[in-house]
Amino acid sequence: MHLKLFVLSASSVMLWLAPAALDKTAAIHKALQGVSLTAAIACAVTAGNIARLQAEQNEIEEIKTRAITADVVDEIATSAYISQQQRQQEAELILASPGDDVEATREALEAIYSQSLQDDTSTSEHPDYPIYLEICKSREAGKSTTWIVENVLKMGGRKFADGKVKLQTLLNKFDGEREK
Amino acid sequence: MRAVYLANYFVAGCIAFSLLGWIASLHPIAFRAVLCLVAATAIIWCLSWLLDFSLSSALKISVSDLQAYLIAAGAMFLVGLGVFLCT
Repeated sequence: MHLKLFVLSASSVMLWLAPAALDKTAAIHKALQGVSLTAAIACAVTAGNIARLQAEQNEIEEIKTRAITADVVDEIATSAYISQQQRQQEAELILASPGDDVEATREALEAIYSQSLQDDTSTSEHPDYPIYLEICKSREAGKSTTWIVENVLKMGGRKFADGKVKLQTLLNKFDGEREK
Repeated sequence: MRAVYLANYFVAGCIAFSLLGWIASLHPIAFRAVLCLVAATAIIWCLSWLLDFSLSSALKISVSDLQAYLIAAGAMFLVGLGVFLCT
């Protein structure tokens, strides 16, 4: 295509300037000049059209190249953005996970502590707890079970068997809770 | 490539003016006809220079492009006629 274009361009210029080299006194000079100029204008217009088409194709190719380049750049930028976001999320997860554990542990500990406090409160608020404390003092003082049943629980005589059972119940209940 | 096609069209314009000169040289009546055509073209060319802004908006091209076309037309006329007179 380029060869044709340059041949036509050169031909048009040659045909345009060729009559200057011809003998002006010749009879066919005018006719040759007319033919030469007509052929030259035809060659020039054809070459111009070819060059214009070629230029338009080149422009289209440039646009395509620019579009492909922009597409590739956009794709690279998108993948870079996505990978950055992933890394950021991973980092946030890594940073956030120990905090969650601590928080969960703290909440669990808080729940356990509050439950034990409630247990302690419920134990101290129990109506038999002062009697249990008296029993403990008496046992520490070396008093016997019979003495405790008769003097602390006030269950002597016929109630002695029931008092002994109550003493054992109180000891089991409050000693067990204290051991917890 | 754009320069090549512009140069080819410029050469074609120059050759067209040479062809017009050749037609004018064939017969006195043809000479008068071509003279009238050239005179009309010259008047249009001058008016185009005077009305370049309104003409550019009417043709939907920039003023600089219109002026470039007018200069190219003048140059084609001068070159084409000069080459024809030399040959």
